[in-house]
Amino acid sequence: MNVEKAQLLNVDNLTMRFGGLVAIDDLSLKVSQGEIRGLIGPNGAGKTTLFNAISGRHPATEGTIRFKNREIQKLKPHSIAECGLARTFQHVTLFKNFSVLRNVVAGCQLKCDYSFWGALLNTRDTRRREAESEARALEFLDFVGLGHVAHAMPSNLPHGNQRTMGIAIALASEPRMLLLDEPCAGMNIEESQEMVNLIRKIRDSGVSVMLIEHDMKVIMRVCDNITVLNFGTRIAEGTPVEIRENPLVRQAYLGSTTDVA
Amino acid sequence: MKYLDQIARYRWEGLFLFSLLFPFLCGFDKYLMHVAITISLNVAMATSMWLIWTLGLISFAHGGIMGIGAYTSALLLTKYGVPMWIGMWVGAAAAGLFALLISFPLMRTRAVYFFMASWAIGEVIKRNFAYFRDFTGGWNGVFNIKAPVLDLGFISLDFSDRTAFYYLAILVVSFVILFIYRINKSRTGMMFWSIHEHELLAQHIGINVLKQKVIAFTVACFLAGLAGALYAHYQTFINPKSFDIWKSEFALVHMIVGGLSTVGGPVTGAILLTVIDELLRAAGHFRVISFGVILIGVVILLPGGLESVPARIRNYLSKDLHK
Repeated sequence: MNVEKAQLLNVDNLTMRFGGLVAIDDLSLKVSQGEIRGLIGPNGAGKTTLFNAISGRHPATEGTIRFKNREIQKLKPHSIAECGLARTFQHVTLFKNFSVLRNVVAGCQLKCDYSFWGALLNTRDTRRREAESEARALEFLDFVGLGHVAHAMPSNLPHGNQRTMGIAIALASEPRMLLLDEPCAGMNIEESQEMVNLIRKIRDSGVSVMLIEHDMKVIMRVCDNITVLNFGTRIAEGTPVEIRENPLVRQAYLGSTTDVA
Repeated sequence: MKYLDQIARYRWEGLFLFSLLFPFLCGFDKYLMHVAITISLNVAMATSMWLIWTLGLISFAHGGIMGIGAYTSALLLTKYGVPMWIGMWVGAAAAGLFALLISFPLMRTRAVYFFMASWAIGEVIKRNFAYFRDFTGGWNGVFNIKAPVLDLGFISLDFSDRTAFYYLAILVVSFVILFIYRINKSRTGMMFWSIHEHELLAQHIGINVLKQKVIAFTVACFLAGLAGALYAHYQTFINPKSFDIWKSEFALVHMIVGGLSTVGGPVTGAILLTVIDELLRAAGHFRVISFGVILIGVVILLPGGLESVPARIRNYLSKDLHK
């Protein structure tokens, strides 16, 4: 294992149970640094549950999750975000009554050296840091291509832009790894293409990406490796080409051997 | 945006100036001074309750918490002779400390469960004041809570005088409003609002939601305790019934009628409704009914409350211009 391919995320024997329902069953998964990993599978396969487990929203029933060699399965979501693991959500998830810029400024929370008394007394230091936060938030908006609508209200933006904004908020915590839950859901072809470019750009800026996506064109184009889940277990893992040819995957998706992509 | 901030600033300054000049304008009228003091205490209650609202929660324990401040300060004076200058801060601290302890379990509840839990807490506080008869005087309450005398050597200020107490109340209320205004403008306020807007997202961008909720609740209750202490020394007598759910509910109505999105809302609501309440003094129990009518009327006819009026007028005028 060379340095570039160092493991960033290690999921070992993870089980997620909700009452009698086993959503994830003894799943192990490794994601390397600088990788774009796709996570696919039919509805109910446990993809979002896996994201929820990794990001701390639901505590793991069994197994360990290590991020940068630190066990995180017992941490609360805000501590996991602090470790450098950010996520977006399946549905558009924003602070609706904040302006676009303020949304991302709020996302800068972890990097703004906040102190309660400094904020209360509005010290010079705090003002400087808040100005920095705002400048940084603008940079992130420019990075995702929303710089021109920084002062708009999110509800006035098209759906695609709102999704991109969710990513900008997540990026504002300057994570090492980003979990994207269906970034292209509800997008048209052009918007999807822009999203693919953005995901590559995010990876090139040094952030590893794991994404759930139903749009196979997107998955095949953008991912380095793909993991396929079905009924909470991993049924295949490999490069897009390998996955495309894998008979098990075809069966899980279509119940036959018809071409997937 | 800058322009609107400027206008808001002028409004605050105007209000402050007016409140300073008010005794002279009303000719030191005893009754009007009483109304003004009641207003300032109500403003303190409504604004501190509004701070909890910035999290998206409404606490019906607020009246009870105010009682903790009032009882602490009152008992310190009547039992141990501790002057109000110390007592009010101890009272506020006691209210804050109680809030801090209670908020850990309380803040794990959500929405309607929070309302019910906080109501129960307020009720328990009130019952406790009544229960410890020997110490707190039971349902009869505490009497003879004298307002303090400030002896500066060359001049001695007696705060049982309405004018003197009025200025004290204005000072304290200005402190409360300024405190809450500053919190709301800062990143702390942004965190509170982000929890209000989307708690899940707030968590995942690294905000310790429980901690921020505890902070907001503790600060708000500290300020409510401060208002309570002031109330006790103004009324000179308190009993458990002064701090029942009605105190919280009136603060809530003030807040909703005034508007919920800025500090100006609860301040406006508390001022206007206290004045209306006093004007309807002759109407007997219709006073309470009128509150209900006003509340329903505002919710239906003026969503956003009184604070949305300037924006509405602006919109109306600009529409006229574009015609």
